[in-house]
Amino acid sequence: MERVEVEKRIKKVVSNILGVPEEKITPESRFVEDLGAESVQSLELVASFEAEFDIEMEEDAALEVKTVGKAVDFIIEYLKKK
Amino acid sequence: MSILDNFITRATTLKRSIVFPEFWDNRILEAAAVICEKSIARPVLPGNPEEIRKGLSLSGISSDGIEIIDSTNLQLIDELTHLYQKQRPNVSEKVAARLVKKPLIFAGLLVASGKIDAMVAGAASTTAEVIQAAALTVGYQSGIKNSSSFFIMEMADSRVFFYADCAVNISPDSNTLADVAVSTARSYRKLMNKEPLVAFLSFSSKGSASHPDVDKVKRAVEIARAIDPDTVYDGEFQVDTAVSESVAQKKIKEPSKVAGRANVLIFPDLDAGNIAYKITQYLAGAKAYGPILQGFAKPVSDLSRGAKVSDIVAVATITSLLS
Repeated sequence: MERVEVEKRIKKVVSNILGVPEEKITPESRFVEDLGAESVQSLELVASFEAEFDIEMEEDAALEVKTVGKAVDFIIEYLKKK
Repeated sequence: MSILDNFITRATTLKRSIVFPEFWDNRILEAAAVICEKSIARPVLPGNPEEIRKGLSLSGISSDGIEIIDSTNLQLIDELTHLYQKQRPNVSEKVAARLVKKPLIFAGLLVASGKIDAMVAGAASTTAEVIQAAALTVGYQSGIKNSSSFFIMEMADSRVFFYADCAVNISPDSNTLADVAVSTARSYRKLMNKEPLVAFLSFSSKGSASHPDVDKVKRAVEIARAIDPDTVYDGEFQVDTAVSESVAQKKIKEPSKVAGRANVLIFPDLDAGNIAYKITQYLAGAKAYGPILQGFAKPVSDLSRGAKVSDIVAVATITSLLS
């Protein structure tokens, strides 16, 4: 899957869960500080990424990802292993 | 009779159901057996029934009196998935179904659904994971936006004080501090069956010092009163003013139902709260029970990962009385 496609789908997921318009989400956006994610929503974001890309992520490592761009990198690594 | 014995006696008459989502931890199985034997509550273990029975058998524990809920039951998974989605509408059914497979979320939803009265977890999970699961499933009490914790401190002379927050919120702002106070007042009322007299603590008593930290506490008093007008909140007080009538008479000139008579002590931050409970425990010889989580719409308690079986039984007893 192309990076641009992964990023597009991640933005859509983040927009749905956090209620932020997709056009306001950039690779530099931080989930908590910029997009207003509450700590309790991190589990929902991880599960949403897993469902979107049909992958199983290591939860502790996934919860360490702080920005949209890093989430793209993180998920691409899992997609390569599929 | 110690306060814990008193709680155990009351718990046996209520015999609430408590779900323990970490059946793979041997201490949980042993605690469930003790809780059954003493009729403190009805322990419930969710998971794969075959694995749970195997664990009980290997530990030499009878499954009599322990309810096992099959977490692979498709009808139940479907029901809990829909309950999750109803509470968290931003989440798709597919995502909710994934979350329901997580033991803490599954157990939290059993409590949220009303099938089970309370949850005790944390023997094999972090406090953050337990709080997250509780927030996503049972949610918060009315007027409360932050979870917190309290300790029950039983003094050598049998007096009992509730201390909060000594374990969760590091640097609470005024709103969070008010949440801590309101939640602790509610916990006190349920556990002690009498009215809480809540003192917000500071290094200042009613304006004796000026500092932004004092202002934070003063604002918290006002916010707590607005959230819960039926409870007596007062402050800011130094701790001697809060608990000693003779000191209160000297230092406080305005009428106060709390000064000198406080039974719930709200500390301005985690430094103060944590240090205070340990000083009371180790230098004054008090017994400390906790930390007990609070602020959720239904009781969910956390365990220290180093908890002994007796600690788990004590937390379960206290949690059952909070439902």
